[in-house]
Formats: sequence, C-alpha cells, structure tokens
Amino acid sequence: MDLSPIWLTLKLAGITTLLLLLIGLPFAWWLSRGKSFIKIIFEAIITMPLVLPPSVLGFYLLLAFSPQHGLGKWLHDTFDVQLVFSFPGLILASVIYSVPFMVGPVKSALQQLPVSLAEASYTLGKTEWQTFRYVLLPNIKPSLLTSAVLTFAHTLGEFGVVLMIGGNIPGVTRVASIAVYDSVEKMDYASANNYSLILFSITFVLVIAVFIFNKYQAKGPLA
Amino acid sequence: MMYFITKTKTVACKPKTIKPMLRQHYNTRPKKNLFFLFALLFTSSLTVNAQNIRVAAAANLQPVMEVLQKDFKQKTGITIDAAIGSSGKLVAQISNGAPFDVFLSADMTFPETLFKNGFAKEKPVVYASGSLIICSTQNIGFENWERLLLSARIKKIAIANPAIAPYGKAAEQSLRDKGILDDAKSKAVYGESISQVNTYITTGVADIGFTTQSLVKELGDKTSLFYTVVDPKTYDPILQGIVILKHGATNPAAGKFYRYILSPAAKSIFKAYGYRVQ
Repeated sequence: MDLSPIWLTLKLAGITTLLLLLIGLPFAWWLSRGKSFIKIIFEAIITMPLVLPPSVLGFYLLLAFSPQHGLGKWLHDTFDVQLVFSFPGLILASVIYSVPFMVGPVKSALQQLPVSLAEASYTLGKTEWQTFRYVLLPNIKPSLLTSAVLTFAHTLGEFGVVLMIGGNIPGVTRVASIAVYDSVEKMDYASANNYSLILFSITFVLVIAVFIFNKYQAKGPLA
Repeated sequence: MMYFITKTKTVACKPKTIKPMLRQHYNTRPKKNLFFLFALLFTSSLTVNAQNIRVAAAANLQPVMEVLQKDFKQKTGITIDAAIGSSGKLVAQISNGAPFDVFLSADMTFPETLFKNGFAKEKPVVYASGSLIICSTQNIGFENWERLLLSARIKKIAIANPAIAPYGKAAEQSLRDKGILDDAKSKAVYGESISQVNTYITTGVADIGFTTQSLVKELGDKTSLFYTVVDPKTYDPILQGIVILKHGATNPAAGKFYRYILSPAAKSIFKAYGYRVQ
C-alpha cells in the first residue's frame, strides 16, 4: 500500500498545528483582554470556519487562489507563487479551516484565569510579554494541549476543502481522506479500508490521550 | 427531497389562501394544522412520484442531460431525477444498492461490470461516443498544443482522474501517443470527475485542461473558452453505454427513457453537444 497519503496528512496536520500555535496564541490573548466591537467582529470571523460548509470555504479559496484574478494573480505575478493545487495552499487552507479549534479554547481558558494573576506579575515589574509567556501560558497548559491536539485531529479530518483546491496530486495534495475517497471510487475497498483504519486509530489514540491528560491535570491547583 | 420541493411549490402557488389559515389556527388547533400539512405533503408527493425515474448519469453528460430531461418530459410527461457524478462513483453506489433505474455511463466497461455482477438487466448499448477537447479560458494558440503544454506558460493541466473517469483515461492515452505523458504528468492536477475539471478550467485555476466538447456548447456564450478538438486517432473511442438497472427493470418509464435515449430525437441533441452518434 502507498503510505505517502498518510505521511502527507501527518505533515500537513503537524505544520498547521505549529503555525496555529504561533499565530493563534497571541491572537487568543488579544481577544481575551477586554471587549470591543472590533474584537467581536474578529472573533466571529475566526469562528465561522466551524459552522461554514467546507465547500463554501473551498469555493472561495479556489477563486482567491486562481492565478487569473485578484489575490492569486498578484501572488503569481509578484512572487511566482501558485497556491491552488500546492502543499503551501493546503497549509493555508488548513490554518483557516482549523483556526477556531486553536483560538476558541485558548481564549476561554485565558479569560477564566483570575485577573489578580496578571496584576501580581505587573506589580512585580514584569512586562506584558513576560507575564503572558511565564505566568499565563503555563497556567492554561491543559487547554493548550487540548487545542493543539484538536487542531491536529481536525486537520487530519479535513476533506471538502482539500477536494476542491487540492487537485489530487500524489505526494503533493493527495492526503489520506482524499485517498480513501479515491479508493472507494475505484472500488478498491481494501485500500480504502487500510487508509480508514489508520486514520481511525490515530484519531482514537489522540482523543483518548487528551481525555486522560485532562483528567490528570484537572487535579492541579488552578485548572 | 421531492417532498420539500413539492411542498414549497404548492405553497408558493397559493400563498394568500394557505398562509393566513395556518396563522389563524396555529395557536388554537395545532394538531389539525399538522394533519393538514401532512395531508398536503402526502397527496402532492403522490401525484409527482407516479411518473418519475431516477437516472445515474456520467459527469460529462451534465450539460446535455438538462436538455434531454426537458425534451423527455415534454414528450412523455415523465420527470427524470438525475444524479450526476463520475462513472466510477456511480457504479460503486449502484453496486451497493443505490436505487437508480437507468445508468448512462461514460464508457462501456463500467456498465458491463454492472451487467456481469447482476445489477443490470441486459448488456450495455452504445448511445453516443464522446469527443475530447483541450480547452482554456485564455487564447493561447492551440495549433501545436503538445508543445504548448510543455512550455513554461502552462503551469497546471487539469485532467479527470484516469482511474475512474473515461475522459481522463482518454487524455492520458492521447498524451502518451504524443510522447509527452511523463512531462505533462508533472503539471497535472486531477479532478474527481470531468465536472471538477470543468470548474478548474472555467475558474482559471488550471491554465488548460482536457474535457468534453459539450462544455463549450453549454458555456460558449457565457464564458469565453478557447479550445481545439484532440485528434480522435490518439485515444481509444470513448464509447458511452446505457443500461437499465435491476431497480428499474419493472418500471415501464425506465424502458421508455432507454428507448428515448437511443431514438433519433435524443441522438440529434447529443450531436448538437459535440458527441458522435451512429
């Protein structure tokens, strides 16, 4: 059996999760502090991938990435980058698709922390960044792990968007979920079963691991 | 699904009589209203289902299917519910019990497999043969398309998945015939059916693609498409077969549709959409 779709999926999910940790954490922190109209709008936008049909996202990304007009044309003309049918394009799509899984839980966790925690840190002369990095983040470790794992798992499960903008290129955009679909269409049920079983097992282990970890962490003083 | 369609239709015809009645009684007698609604749904769906067949049609037929549906409805009063998809997917669905009456494939192998496995009544018959074109939204000069495909100007070539879509298989054969299959493959993006290839071509995300001539007939006046017909000698003829499925064996409307597709009236429609017919 060709294992490249599985590796590709793991690679995609891994990179997406890392990127979302980098982008999502500061963003969640910004959202967690105070309320303003702009923040509500931003929060709504990043929550939308959760409820939008993947086909809507796929369709707009297809148009946006098209080298014929708009953003895609600009990227193509200025940087000679084509996002549609490429692995970087899939990463960008996955980041958009999974952003609510990262930002939502982290933001809630930050809001649950007592304000006095940050205030104490400020009175001790720590900067905002130091407070965030050394006081707040360590205190939301369980949520952080849950978000990261769910982001990873959600990217594993990505299908509709990839189907629309991926182009099913072996080794580049044929991820495991597409390989399953492809095998079923070819009536190659043995391969479909192999891929599915692997995906099934990985997701099962991941979710179980999160549950166990959270149960153990829940005994901690602040969580 | 039909239920909802018929319901909205009926309500839309008489909004003034039905809507106030519902509103008026809603608070006092909800049960009666529910009964009334169900009765409405039930009776209206009955009248529609009497003359209805389900047709599974290969993705390349998408443009022509609409015309055939309309013409057939006009001639016989029978409504066709068409499910359009790649032949491979439809065969997988039919083999797993999908309740289709007739199957219009994009090749002969898929319907023959169905016949061999007992899902079809009789051997498949050719109703049309397809014409492969190479097509783009840009006028990039197709006189020498094999050289064009290799040029730096073409970044992505859309091809239907050769394993499940006969037009994709034909495109690969043609590329092999020209001796550029390996080079073209490095630029290939695969659509799950010819419909997705059409999307890739018309939105311009792929610079060029192999598709069916009927696309141009359908979109020719809405979108500017440039194309050339691929030399039919470079690929095996795309003979497209029709079978009546087990599910439709007892439905006389299915037989009617089958005979209609092989009739001169349908053949002239196929011809207008770029198919070759005998």
